[in-house]
Amino acid sequence: MLNGSLKFAVVVSGAPYGTQGASSAYQFCASAVQAGHKIVGVFFYQEGVLNASLLVSPASDEINLPSLWAQLATAHQFPLEVCVSASLRRGIVNQVEAEQLALAQFNLKSPFVLSGLGQLAELSAGADRLVQFK
Amino acid sequence: MTEKKIGIINTCLPHGSAQGRESLDLTLALSAFNESLSLFFIGDGVYQLLAGHTPDESLQKHFQPLFKMLDLYDVENIYVCEQSLLQRVIKQEQLLIDVTLLNRAQLKSKLALQDQLLSF
Repeated sequence: MLNGSLKFAVVVSGAPYGTQGASSAYQFCASAVQAGHKIVGVFFYQEGVLNASLLVSPASDEINLPSLWAQLATAHQFPLEVCVSASLRRGIVNQVEAEQLALAQFNLKSPFVLSGLGQLAELSAGADRLVQFK
Repeated sequence: MTEKKIGIINTCLPHGSAQGRESLDLTLALSAFNESLSLFFIGDGVYQLLAGHTPDESLQKHFQPLFKMLDLYDVENIYVCEQSLLQRVIKQEQLLIDVTLLNRAQLKSKLALQDQLLSF
């Protein structure tokens, strides 16, 4: 650990498009790791779960936030936890849930994972700072 | 490591968005892992606690009965902004659950005591 470096847990409550919160959250995480801090994990809740959709398809000259999250998390080895109950209500489904619910499709992007609110409790407990973006 | 004090701030109307419901879902879930939760109801958030909603008529989930679970889950620090009640002509007796009323200065100091805040 670098001297003065902090462990951050980040909560994203905003959609990847339509409001700016999720973009700001991404920039915050990218800057934090660049500055030598650690992201212990990002928890996606409410409209934030839409960041985990592999079907998000912006125009070619616009950013693809789900892809940016995936790259950053893979490069810096932090988890992207997505609240399962908020996800299912909004049509974000992984393969296991799709099979259980007899849905024709699933759309959870890798390396996002569906998890429960207990995971937020764990991130909160293990972090020096909790930062929420709406 | 001492348990972190988490404050959950509610400022939205009970319906019109899922903010109130998803805040309460989160609160009840976190209460299983953290015994130092405090809830704050400020501004229009106080309407969440005003008894007698009938949201089924507008296809919204009637989540208000779940507020009764807070007691069962030992979430006892429930703070309501006194001024927000006054402004909306709501009396404490009209609220669904037992709460502690705080004036502005008291609210500020309670919020300052929290290690982490989440707002809805």
